[in-house]
Amino acid sequence: MSRQPAVCREIEPHLLAVATGEAEAVAAERVEVHVAACRACREELHHYRAVEGMVRTLRRAPLRGDDPTLARAQLASRLADVRSRVVGFGIFPSALGPVLIGRSEQGVAVVQYLPAGGSLTAHVRRLLGEDAVEDRAATEDLQAELQEYLEGRRARLDWPLDLRRMRSDFQRRVLEATGALPYGAVTSYAGIAARIGAPTAVRPVAQALRWNPLPIVIPCHRVIGSTGALIGYAGKRVELKQRLLAVEGVKTVAGPHAFRVPREAMYTLVHGDREYCVPTCGALSTTPLSKLTLFGTRERAESAGFAPCTTCRPDLHPLPA
Amino acid sequence: MAEDAFEAVMGAHHAEIRRYLLRITARASDADDLSQETFLRAFRAYRALPPGANVRAWLFTIATNLGRNHFRAQSRRRRAYAAAAWESRADAPERADGQALADEARAQVERVIGGLPEKQRLAFIMRKMHELDYAEIGTSLRCSAESARAHVFQALRKIRRELDGHLPTGTESQP
Repeated sequence: MSRQPAVCREIEPHLLAVATGEAEAVAAERVEVHVAACRACREELHHYRAVEGMVRTLRRAPLRGDDPTLARAQLASRLADVRSRVVGFGIFPSALGPVLIGRSEQGVAVVQYLPAGGSLTAHVRRLLGEDAVEDRAATEDLQAELQEYLEGRRARLDWPLDLRRMRSDFQRRVLEATGALPYGAVTSYAGIAARIGAPTAVRPVAQALRWNPLPIVIPCHRVIGSTGALIGYAGKRVELKQRLLAVEGVKTVAGPHAFRVPREAMYTLVHGDREYCVPTCGALSTTPLSKLTLFGTRERAESAGFAPCTTCRPDLHPLPA
Repeated sequence: MAEDAFEAVMGAHHAEIRRYLLRITARASDADDLSQETFLRAFRAYRALPPGANVRAWLFTIATNLGRNHFRAQSRRRRAYAAAAWESRADAPERADGQALADEARAQVERVIGGLPEKQRLAFIMRKMHELDYAEIGTSLRCSAESARAHVFQALRKIRRELDGHLPTGTESQP
């Protein structure tokens, strides 16, 4: 290619801009003056305009394979699937620290305590994967109800639940049995195992509760050790369990290794019975906790639908407050 | 609801985004897959998009990123295929005999576009086929608007060079 004079090299980008209709007025005028005097650049401008014309034609030309119908139909189907799995979540401060609430099309899919500080985004990604989208507005109503619950102003969280994050049918059964525990009541891991017909599966029950995707809503805090000790909650955060039980009126006392629920201070119901007793009624004091449900107050037992025992009459001889 | 709004976004932009992906991959099945992936990603991120955001440019950015990942995965084989596919479009119907020369030049343009370096090709297609502005192209390619413009101009220079001898002359009749 022949060497261009410096002035032509310098004006070349403006030539291109003029050809593509993008030149500013001053540059366009310079080009106009230059090409009037320079035959080579005039020819070049003509060529660029021709190229631009071809490109325009190409843009309008039909494109082979330009039929989005199939892709659109497949997209609609895949999107429906993604929509059903997407969990819109919000993170809220609470008396128990930051709490994440996530809801899908089907219902509330996850409630999770989050570590204070640190990268919550990374934590949420680990927890929910790519199906998580931040959508605070979608969970604000839930947050308000949870707040009421934590303040003791609400005894139930009647939320539709999305239980697809269950790890197994066994876990589903464990969580259903746990969900049936009344407000203000506790039983043991062995008690849950017995209720699902797997009385020896105490450790698997504890594991299933450890991976409860919906703590508070599915009240795994109402499940305690066979000695009454508060063990295992949100990792090692047993103090959260104690606070949740306190909100529900369940007393705890300091034990040698952990806080425990004192059986001797709890109204007691034998699993399957319709009447609740004082803990000294009949053989109750030696009955394993796995067969019992303990209530912190008579009101809780009665609002769960149980009547006072006609023998020990807890209504006439209540436990000391 | 956000979901209804997203339906509207799909209705407004899916065909164009797929056309863009068809142009850059030169393969309908790739355009199908990548256009679906573009909108699935967009759906997940849509709720976090600020009000008043330029949705079309945002979709082009997602599609461009997916396209570039796709090229990396396909590497040289795909590039060769893309060039060949652009070339094969020269056989498209609706070509009148009198148009033969112009069509040949246009086919040459397509061949050159297919063989451009990736950024120039993407910038050129976004600008010249889909009329995005340089700032939008820059966002898609993670470069400045100036660089985007430079890519497009560089592509035009290459096309001009490759067409040397095929372009009409005759400016001498003008003053």
